[in-house]
Amino acid sequence: MLEGAELYFNVDHGYLEGLVRGCKASLLTQQDYINLVQCETLEDLKIHLQTTDYGNFLANQTNPLTVSKIDTEMRKRLCGEFEYFRNHSLEPLSTFLTYMTCSYMIDNVILLMNGALQKKSVKEILGKCHPLGRFTEMEAVNIAETPSDLFNAILVETPLAPFFQDCMSENALDELNIELLRNKLYKSYLETFYKFCKNHGDVTAEVMCPILEFEADRRAFIITLNSFGTELSKEDRETLYPTFGKLYPEGLRLLAQAEDFDQMKSIVDHYVVYKPLFEAVGGSGGKTLEDVFYEREVQMNVLAFNRQFHYGVFYAYVKLKEQEMRNIVWIAECISQRHRTKINSYIPIL
Amino acid sequence: MGSMFRSEEVALVQLFLPTAAAYTCVSQLGELGLVEFRDLNASVSAFQRRFVVDVRRCEELEKTFTFLQEEMRRAGLVLPRPEGRLPAPPPRDLLRIQEETERLAQELRDVRGNQQSLRVQLHQLQLHAAVLGQGHGPQLATAHTYGASERTPLLQAPGGPHQDLRVNFVAGAVEPHKAPALERLLWRACRGFLIASFSELERPLEHPVTGEPATWMTFLISYWGEQIGQKIRKITDCFHCHVFPFLEQEEARRAALQQLQQQSQELQEVLGETERFLSQVLGRVQQLLPPAQVQVRKMKAVYLALNQCSVSTTHKCLIAEAWCATRDLPALQEALRDSSAEEGVSAVAHRIPSRDMPPTLIRTNRFTASFQGIVDSYGVGRYQEVNPAPYTIITFPFLFAVMFGDVGHGLLMFLFALAMVLAENRPAVKAAQNEIWQTFFGGRYLLLLMGLFSVYTGFIYNECFSRASSIFPSGWSVAAMANQSGWSDAFLAQHTMLTLDPNVTGVFLGPYPFGIDPIWSLAANHLSFLNSFKMKMSVILGVVHMAFGVVLGVFNHMHFGQRHRLLLETLPELTFLLGLFGYLVFLVIYKWLHVSAASAASAPSILIHFINMFLFSHSPTNRPLYPQQEVVQAMLVVLALAMVPVLLLGTPLHLLCRHRRRRRRPTGRKEDKAGLLGLPDASVNGWGSDEEKAGGLEDEQEAELVPSEVFMHQAIHTIEFCLGCISNTASYLRLWALSLAHAQLSEVLWAMVMRIGLGLGREVGVAAVVLVPIFAAFAVMTVAILLVMEGLSAFLHALRLHWVEFQNKFYSGTGYKLSPFTFAATDD
Repeated sequence: MLEGAELYFNVDHGYLEGLVRGCKASLLTQQDYINLVQCETLEDLKIHLQTTDYGNFLANQTNPLTVSKIDTEMRKRLCGEFEYFRNHSLEPLSTFLTYMTCSYMIDNVILLMNGALQKKSVKEILGKCHPLGRFTEMEAVNIAETPSDLFNAILVETPLAPFFQDCMSENALDELNIELLRNKLYKSYLETFYKFCKNHGDVTAEVMCPILEFEADRRAFIITLNSFGTELSKEDRETLYPTFGKLYPEGLRLLAQAEDFDQMKSIVDHYVVYKPLFEAVGGSGGKTLEDVFYEREVQMNVLAFNRQFHYGVFYAYVKLKEQEMRNIVWIAECISQRHRTKINSYIPIL
Repeated sequence: MGSMFRSEEVALVQLFLPTAAAYTCVSQLGELGLVEFRDLNASVSAFQRRFVVDVRRCEELEKTFTFLQEEMRRAGLVLPRPEGRLPAPPPRDLLRIQEETERLAQELRDVRGNQQSLRVQLHQLQLHAAVLGQGHGPQLATAHTYGASERTPLLQAPGGPHQDLRVNFVAGAVEPHKAPALERLLWRACRGFLIASFSELERPLEHPVTGEPATWMTFLISYWGEQIGQKIRKITDCFHCHVFPFLEQEEARRAALQQLQQQSQELQEVLGETERFLSQVLGRVQQLLPPAQVQVRKMKAVYLALNQCSVSTTHKCLIAEAWCATRDLPALQEALRDSSAEEGVSAVAHRIPSRDMPPTLIRTNRFTASFQGIVDSYGVGRYQEVNPAPYTIITFPFLFAVMFGDVGHGLLMFLFALAMVLAENRPAVKAAQNEIWQTFFGGRYLLLLMGLFSVYTGFIYNECFSRASSIFPSGWSVAAMANQSGWSDAFLAQHTMLTLDPNVTGVFLGPYPFGIDPIWSLAANHLSFLNSFKMKMSVILGVVHMAFGVVLGVFNHMHFGQRHRLLLETLPELTFLLGLFGYLVFLVIYKWLHVSAASAASAPSILIHFINMFLFSHSPTNRPLYPQQEVVQAMLVVLALAMVPVLLLGTPLHLLCRHRRRRRRPTGRKEDKAGLLGLPDASVNGWGSDEEKAGGLEDEQEAELVPSEVFMHQAIHTIEFCLGCISNTASYLRLWALSLAHAQLSEVLWAMVMRIGLGLGREVGVAAVVLVPIFAAFAVMTVAILLVMEGLSAFLHALRLHWVEFQNKFYSGTGYKLSPFTFAATDD
């Protein structure tokens, strides 16, 4: 692609980029978090959130306020913003935004299938689905019995269809298979998204590729970690790893052979990027691997805003907002359960 | 009016409000709108303040109000404006209001819910009826037979165990936008073992919640086999379809349809009853809501104000700090006394010294408001600074009029403004919501003066819609010229241009009594005459305006006790300005008075003289205006240049000297301060120490005078002033440019439109008919281009001349407005 996206980027996407930067500026600041942490009750939290850009988004909630209400309202707000971006976007940004929703769609599909397996009512599970990943056919997911059924009947028209190529099988959908399906879908999704960004070139590729590479590597680590002590064979494990990223290919091959956390750690020692992350685990404040990854993600997403004329800001904004929501929910949980000792272990967005 | 010249004296007042009476006191203050509360709890976050519980209760109530309001809006009812004055209710009344509104809201919610569920039922019935009544019958029959004939050989092959296989139906309705997706999903999921027919409802049904008409797609699915049936039911569920039982027999269907219609009739009756009850409840809401809303809003405002107060250590009273105009102090005392009389302990207010700059308060009336607005939009004046607004009242319309000078246009503008002024008390005019109209209406007195002054300058320029009027006989006589030089008829026929020579006796009789002689409008050199006149006029007006600005600075220095600046700043500035540009004005006027028509041929050029003045040279061809001119000019230039270092170094050096002197002997300031702190505010926790710290910090700042900063500041000021004198004088030439543009535009409009129209038909009838559209075009263009467009541009330039050229000579505009705590906004 031609160098110099700055020449024509703003014609199509300038308005939205400005908008998303404005939205980013409304993320909670460190001072806000300090104030939030001091809250005694959820009502206090609500009053404080009213002074921020959240405004009176909780004003119409009937008492008593619960954490899940706050969470739902925040998600609704994010979803509203995202829908606005999406409705005003042009190609190829709209494709990019569709890719962004795919991960939520995968989560929703899997959630619904798990629900169906446990014979829970669809309504109950729908409440838990992420609004960003909603689509009409979603609720029909539970009529499918095999992955190919699922694909042929329901998902063939959704953006998820292309990711199904690798996971067509006639196996019955039990818990393990669903989990495998999720990981395969996710792998395929990440690879496609990565390819899309790479082909787009320009600043978008420069910004998005590292973020997605990190995402892929993180998945690989998590899959490895979760497969310790399960019946998943090492070969199967390897097929679940997304085939790009900093670990690809040698690191992934080594990871596939790993048998416990210490072996994993010794593999990671070869990678300068991830070594400090693994070293930070369990150190000061008892951070988990998840926390460390989240921190790193926030860091990368914040850096995305340093460049102009690319789509990465949309991705980064949604991720940052999600992190902020996780933080608020964490603080709210701590407040409502009177568990104040851990209230400070939210991930600050700098 | 006295308070117009500078902002009123504002004092920091400490209010001791007994806890029992604090609420009534503050609510009384809110009614009067006298004081601006200072936040004494700035470091306390919103939810840790004292009255946060009460605020929250008010908010709860407001939530109920919004619910009620929303219901009213949905019912299409308008809330009346509350009548009379509604004071903030005593706190115990809140409970009553809360109870009443809660009860109403609950009732409303119940009735609404009933109505809703009835509507949903009705909707369901109607849909069912529609599904049954829809013409799926014949289609179905063909599909059935078709399917059967297709299938016959297949079915026979396995030996016909499926002979008794029955076709089952699922019927229902779905929203139209979902229909295609549903159809496709059904097809894919059931692998085609079904026949679905979709058809759109002819008549849109009312949506049960929003009441909007919505069309529906009804569908009828026929399928074989129970498993597929389950799948279909699941799919229809997930698309939120309404599924109804569908009887196979035609007669049974008809019977069901009839029953449905009967049911829906009954339902409609019940619904009607419910709606009547609903309107009763809404009527009660209509009565109760508006006053309650105002009261609760006031109550919340009071609590928010109380949240800014701090609590005394004994918890007996609340302590508030507020800015209050000194003039209003007695009223404040009285209000406090009155409202706390019931409690036995009276609330007290007393002044306390403050180191912060008080807010600016300038009371305006409807006439001065727009002029004050012009000044304030540049920047609110520092406390007690000279207020340019009273001078703006005259200079602004005048400078505007210089650019807009035309009797006709001015008159139109004046009449428009006059109409607004006369109609200003009419409620319809006041209530108009149009933003553009409000802008004009807000500036009606400004427009009035602008129009009036334009009429005046129009007479000076002698232009009315670009035509000259001869009220007085012209000062020039063509007859005399013709007689003296013996122009023959043939000579006159040959020459279209004739020169009038003022040196010939009898031709120039004397100046025109007022403004420009109308004969100039006939002259070929009309423009060059006017240009010279307007240019010189612009410079004169500019220099006078700027000098006036510098002089106004004197009052600032006197008032703030900075007498050194009189000598070290105002005097050099004035000398610089008047020595150079004042002298230019002098030259212009001197030449006007001194050089007569007789000596016009050898008249000296001011421009050359002025240039030579700076070069210290003289040109032999240019006659001096008066003897010793060169010496005077050289002295003036040297004097003006000598003022620059004074201006540059005077104030900083003075400040440094004073500072050094003060440091050498310790001042009595410290004891002074101790005296201040000895005030009976020792009981106050928190804020006292804050104040002390802030005060101490400021003191240190003053003590640590940074020489480099002072020098830098003064250097910037000096450069700005000296260069500004030149550029600002040039800037005033916009007066000339815009008035020229205005005159030329109106001239063009006359020549291109009206003159052509007037010259068209010789017969009266034709001329009259032709003139109607032509005059219409002339009138529209005059208003659109000359009045609105030109008016706006002249307004803008006048604004600039005031903000930049005039106000930067003395006005800092770094203050902030006093915004008293008042219910006035909530009453509206």
